[in-house]
Amino acid sequence: MHGTSVVVGVGESTYYRAGRAPESEFQLACIAIRNAVADAGLQMSEIDGFVTYMDFQRNDALRLMTALGTGDLSFSAMSWPGGGNISAMPIQIADAAITAGYAKNIVVYRALAQGQFGRYGRPPAVPYATGAAAFKTPYGEASPAMNNAMPFTRYMHEYGVTHEATCNLSLASYAHAQRNPRAIRYGQPLTREDYYASRWIVYPYRLFDCAQENDGAAAMVISSADRARDLKQQPVYVKSAAAGAEQRAGLQATYNEPYFPYARRLHVADRLWSQAGIGPKDVQVAQFYENFTGSTVMCISDMGFAPPDGIEEFLSNGNIQWPNGKLPINTSGANLAEAYIHGFENQLEAVRQVRGQSTSQVENVEFSLAVGGPGAPVGSAALYSKQA
Amino acid sequence: MSYMPDGWTLPALDDLNRPFFTTGKLMLQHCVDCDRVQHPPEDICIWCQGDHLDYVEARGTGDVYSYVVPHHPPNEKLTTRVPYNIILVRLDDYPHVRILGNQIDAEFDEVTIGTPVRVTFEEIADQNGGATILLPQWVKA
Repeated sequence: MHGTSVVVGVGESTYYRAGRAPESEFQLACIAIRNAVADAGLQMSEIDGFVTYMDFQRNDALRLMTALGTGDLSFSAMSWPGGGNISAMPIQIADAAITAGYAKNIVVYRALAQGQFGRYGRPPAVPYATGAAAFKTPYGEASPAMNNAMPFTRYMHEYGVTHEATCNLSLASYAHAQRNPRAIRYGQPLTREDYYASRWIVYPYRLFDCAQENDGAAAMVISSADRARDLKQQPVYVKSAAAGAEQRAGLQATYNEPYFPYARRLHVADRLWSQAGIGPKDVQVAQFYENFTGSTVMCISDMGFAPPDGIEEFLSNGNIQWPNGKLPINTSGANLAEAYIHGFENQLEAVRQVRGQSTSQVENVEFSLAVGGPGAPVGSAALYSKQA
Repeated sequence: MSYMPDGWTLPALDDLNRPFFTTGKLMLQHCVDCDRVQHPPEDICIWCQGDHLDYVEARGTGDVYSYVVPHHPPNEKLTTRVPYNIILVRLDDYPHVRILGNQIDAEFDEVTIGTPVRVTFEEIADQNGGATILLPQWVKA
């Protein structure tokens, strides 16, 4: 059944530093969706579904369909639980809905204005912590950076991984952002010396290991292959999409999962590759969500590109940098240097790579991978292809 | 004097976590049906799905399995506290259980993986009048 749904349109708002967007978060969502629908060559009245993640009912399907003037709403859903880690899960949901025939043209989107609703890196102090947080926050574990750092300290210890791995990932994103006028870090190159001179946020993460905090929105339209044939853009097939977690993965909330310190994407990798009938070696370009570089290093390994004790070498020697790298990674600049739209901007970049529209375009892309977030126990990944 | 600042976040006590945070013993949830231990506590046994759970006291020794060192304060309550350490302790008697804490006898840059540690308890009064917390913490064994 895979390969029956197609990404027909992509679009985004202008990306801003947190607090700099003149538009509201909802308006940013509408702008991104309008751009994606126009990119597809569809009419807004043909949109009949919405899928997103971690939206907290701020930009819900009913409000969007009303404001945008879509046709009747036939399908709406939200993936859970998590944030960037599930940024490919709405692709899976839309693929399922299109394949089942529940809707014809589904908008998948993420709007996030941290400047308007609170910066992720600055959670306010609270008098009491409940649930799993009761076992963490009283000890000062009070930010996503701290939460994502704990597995990576152990991973470095077990597998001999050093900060060269995280540095190379950060340098690749910044290098690619210098070619991408959408990127917030466009015109702000980063050197190895800059990386190592940057201040600690939480050991083992320096400043340039951490994603930005931004205002913006990104959207795509997913339709059936039949519908895609007479639309504006070259069809980009959803070859495979996988999401989920290993047994008892919820123990990760307090680092008690059996497979700690892995980034926990093994189940998703198995599903993704077996459904597609291809493997990591068949992919020409990849996007990996990077809330924090260490989580991403583990995730790249878990997706099958290199074993943990070989991941540092895999990321070295320009191997992940366009144009000469064997596997260019995060070719738009991604969350570190393009914009932090919770990983969804990476999904758009993966589609552009299949179309031949990236600002760091890889040649002859047949398969383009976009992996949702590490750092939380539910993972997600989408594989896009030129052919059905 | 506690490791984290006065007025810092306390655990919201509930039926599941009260033994861990108020007894001055390292209490872990234990399944009466299958005799296994689970952490954090849950409403049912995650191993056998049994409904009958009680608590057992762990020996309270382990080793530093991982750690982090916050340098950047996420909010104003931590501005004068950074940098500090947060450690993940693997228990000797229940090695599948890992417990978060602070190594309160170590500076932020003195923590290393593998250090043997033992539990101690910080008595923290709730400024809002709630029950006094006896917070499990760790020192070099």
